[in-house]
Amino acid sequence: MDDLRVLLIIPCYNEQDSIGPLLDEIAACGGYATIVIDDGSRDATYQNAVKRSPTVRLLRNLGIGGAVQTGIKYAERMGFDLCVQIDGDGQHPPAEVARLVAAYRASPRSLLIGSRYLLNDSFRSTSSRRMGSQVIARFLRLLYPHFHATDPTSGMRMMDRAAIQFFARHYPADYPEPISLAWALKRGLSVGEVAVKMRAREHGRSSIFGLRSAAYMARVLGYILLARLSRFMPR
Amino acid sequence: MHPTSLQTMLIVSVFTVVYLIYIARKTAHQKLDVYDFVMLSSLGVIPFLFAVFPGVAAFAAEVTGVVYPFVALFGLLFIFIFVFVHRLTEKVHSLEQDNRMLVQEISLLRQALEQPRGAKSDSD
Repeated sequence: MDDLRVLLIIPCYNEQDSIGPLLDEIAACGGYATIVIDDGSRDATYQNAVKRSPTVRLLRNLGIGGAVQTGIKYAERMGFDLCVQIDGDGQHPPAEVARLVAAYRASPRSLLIGSRYLLNDSFRSTSSRRMGSQVIARFLRLLYPHFHATDPTSGMRMMDRAAIQFFARHYPADYPEPISLAWALKRGLSVGEVAVKMRAREHGRSSIFGLRSAAYMARVLGYILLARLSRFMPR
Repeated sequence: MHPTSLQTMLIVSVFTVVYLIYIARKTAHQKLDVYDFVMLSSLGVIPFLFAVFPGVAAFAAEVTGVVYPFVALFGLLFIFIFVFVHRLTEKVHSLEQDNRMLVQEISLLRQALEQPRGAKSDSD
């Protein structure tokens, strides 16, 4: 990229089949630095990743929040201007990163979320998950009327230096996408959305299913409310 | 107010003394801190006081407005346990955050040592 140094943060857990093709695809796009965060995988994820990209192998599984925060810390220390989180399961096409970068150049925001619901021809997940995402979006709109999220649970997001510096120090451990969005809004960071295309998961399974979905919703909404009401936000 | 039987007093006394010695040794070997020692010892001392001095139990019941002294005993024990568990919960949460940070830092350091910068795709 011209003057902006962009880092792709790729958190992975047991993605030995997806990570190699994903990194090859990124290399074909050209121009992006990458850091793979192996979140304590028990398969060959690390071996497949380290041949193609700098890879941090976490000593133990920290969850998606801990893994992403590790990548953000890496971005801060290496002096990257922007970092983009894309999942290691192949759902986020690397070619879509260019949309985020272009949107940032047109209108810089500290946090840009790639929304799969702004384009009708993108894979839009299951109906139950869309509904869950809509509930969270409406709740966020209730608490932050100036921001209209369409895809608050999207894992594809871009952060600039201000967001990198904040999230390197404070990032939610569990189900971090919507909660980090609430923290960003509370903190006063500028947040926007960009339409992106996503793919169905090629390998592995989601960690949010069954009764976990109800627990997930309760926790997420609770945390978002706490963030809004709390006077003691992390500094 | 019924006096406590000698049997009960003996059992409670033995338990209290043995437990206090046990946790005192743990504290001396730095397996517990002083706060833990005080809170845990109360779980032995309070039943001992109530058993050996039933007047204390009666007084506690009168002050708290409960009919049965043993209710006051359990209420008092519950308060101590509640405070102790609350503190432990805070401590565990703090340790979890410290642990997460340490895992991240060590992992990043290992990556920097094993994969020198520029070895893989680290350029625009």
